[in-house]
Amino acid sequence: MQQAAAPPANQDAAAAGDAPPKQVAQALEQLGQAGRLIADVRLGADRLLEALFYVAEEPHHQHSAKCLNLILKEESLMRQHLQNLSAIGRQLEESGVLNDSLRSRSNSWGLHMPLVCPDGAVVAYAWKRQLAGQAGASAVDRTRLALKAFTDQKRRFFPHLAEDSVVESAMKKHCSPLPISQEELADQKTLADILSHLEKEVANLQAFTYQRLDWSKRASSLPSAANESSTDSSKEHSFPSTSKWVQGSVSTHAPDKAAVIELLLPSVFRAVVSLHTAGSMDPDAVAFFSPDEGGSYLHARGFSLHHVFRHVSEHASMALQYFTCANPETALHSLLHWVCSYQTLFMKVCSKCGKLLSMDKQSGLILPPLKRPFRYYTAGRKSAKSSTTENCSMDLIKAFHISCFSEEA
Amino acid sequence: MPIKWILHWQPNPGTTVNSQILSEVSQCAESINGVKEGRWKSTLSFYKAMAREQTIANDFPRDFVGISLAEQPNKYFLVIRGQRLVVEAESSIQMIMEKLQSYKTRVALNFEGNQYQLGDFQLRVGKVVPMHSESLRGIVMEMEYLPISSWEKSHQIMGEFFDLWQESLSKRSLPGHFVHIEPNFAEYGLADQYSLQHTAVQYASITAQMIATSQSVQATRN
Repeated sequence: MQQAAAPPANQDAAAAGDAPPKQVAQALEQLGQAGRLIADVRLGADRLLEALFYVAEEPHHQHSAKCLNLILKEESLMRQHLQNLSAIGRQLEESGVLNDSLRSRSNSWGLHMPLVCPDGAVVAYAWKRQLAGQAGASAVDRTRLALKAFTDQKRRFFPHLAEDSVVESAMKKHCSPLPISQEELADQKTLADILSHLEKEVANLQAFTYQRLDWSKRASSLPSAANESSTDSSKEHSFPSTSKWVQGSVSTHAPDKAAVIELLLPSVFRAVVSLHTAGSMDPDAVAFFSPDEGGSYLHARGFSLHHVFRHVSEHASMALQYFTCANPETALHSLLHWVCSYQTLFMKVCSKCGKLLSMDKQSGLILPPLKRPFRYYTAGRKSAKSSTTENCSMDLIKAFHISCFSEEA
Repeated sequence: MPIKWILHWQPNPGTTVNSQILSEVSQCAESINGVKEGRWKSTLSFYKAMAREQTIANDFPRDFVGISLAEQPNKYFLVIRGQRLVVEAESSIQMIMEKLQSYKTRVALNFEGNQYQLGDFQLRVGKVVPMHSESLRGIVMEMEYLPISSWEKSHQIMGEFFDLWQESLSKRSLPGHFVHIEPNFAEYGLADQYSLQHTAVQYASITAQMIATSQSVQATRN
């Protein structure tokens, strides 16, 4: 029987960097160990009961002292087994096997592992071939699982690939909904320029930049619904060190070391964009949150507590990928502009069905139109209208429900 | 905090509210994928002034209510509708009022029922029963939209959700419908940012409406 003592700490560190098959093999081994421990506990319990019955029936038997010793010994063994079991349970929890957290980890390959087929067979590996090789699942199930795995990974790593590439080439001549003139683009060379221009263009928008650590401090200090008391009428919690274009309360480095951009539209959304390296203009992640949310989970790769913002974040990630691939130089500019089109998130009806709320068939949730087209949204094209109509041109951006949205839009 | 609309059931003329309607409403919530989460309970008490002489007592406002809300049991809300006043106090104020004996509880109502989660929406369906009684006096509903705290910004979405709700409910052909009255929060000195005081004002408002409705029904009967 394998000794199930607590494994060394370096095993966990190694596990984090391992490829999924190894992680899965380790998880299965741990599950096996857990199974053996549970069997030991059962046996121990049986022995204890037996000994107790024996002693109870014949309390003055010559062997009763021996039985008592047996009971004590068994009890300490059981205790050991249970402790080992809980240690393994903790490891399994950390590696994400016992709960759903594997899905949200950055090195997740998008699949729930281990997978248990309807007939009880355990699918250890997630690769298409191995799924096909599993005897337990039916052909339909195997195909379905493989297809799901493949589309999940494709959506995650190649979001800019069109579902229907034929239609995409035909629509390339379509005009972008929000053209930005060449002159304006030339003016907006630095991040500060872009943000100040954006603030002028979009009413009520507040834009801030931060260093990474400063942002996480700010995020944690934001009032959240959990710790908000009803007598707290001052909703504006001023973070003393947050002034525009200056990060940190102590350091006085130049604004071009910004790593996190916050776009706050009060009562509508708070968008967080992270830049690939501090001071660069390359966005690498974006996420949306409710302006009332607060906590350390508020960052460019975090997930909002609300379904609507989670879906918007997912769509925004795809937009980010598209902008980065289409024109890396203007990616940030396009992205920030596009993010601002969500100022109408709770007000603009769907351009296809004309309603504000609709039940999304896939998730079973009632959501507003949270998709905004990004595909042909390019900055740097000559504007047909003058720049004074910029404000109303934001209204021209269409909005769609999840099911109403199609790539042709 | 997230905005909330509080609705009350308006029975059709000649009909009364009954528990069958309550269960139909609950089923409707589940039919639009509402997940039952738990129970909730709020209370509202009507106070009357205790003065030595009856004539003086009549000078005091009769629409003085005290409300205890499910989400914040350690707070107590006092509302005088006629004067557009709402005050938030610690729940221990009830003890002070008891000691002072200046105002006594005339009638106390319980609003209680089940809570349903529909994605970013939260619905509460509740029956209105007087304290220490089982007779159903009315049905209330709370509609909450979690992502928005601004009353103004949420209006359109809540309006549509209300229409969606009415539409699904109408398929059950119930003898009545839900009504949404919007108190003028500005008159109470309340801001656009939603708070529990807004909820308290809405409760005071619908309770007054329910009483007015039942009184008019009684009047037509007599």
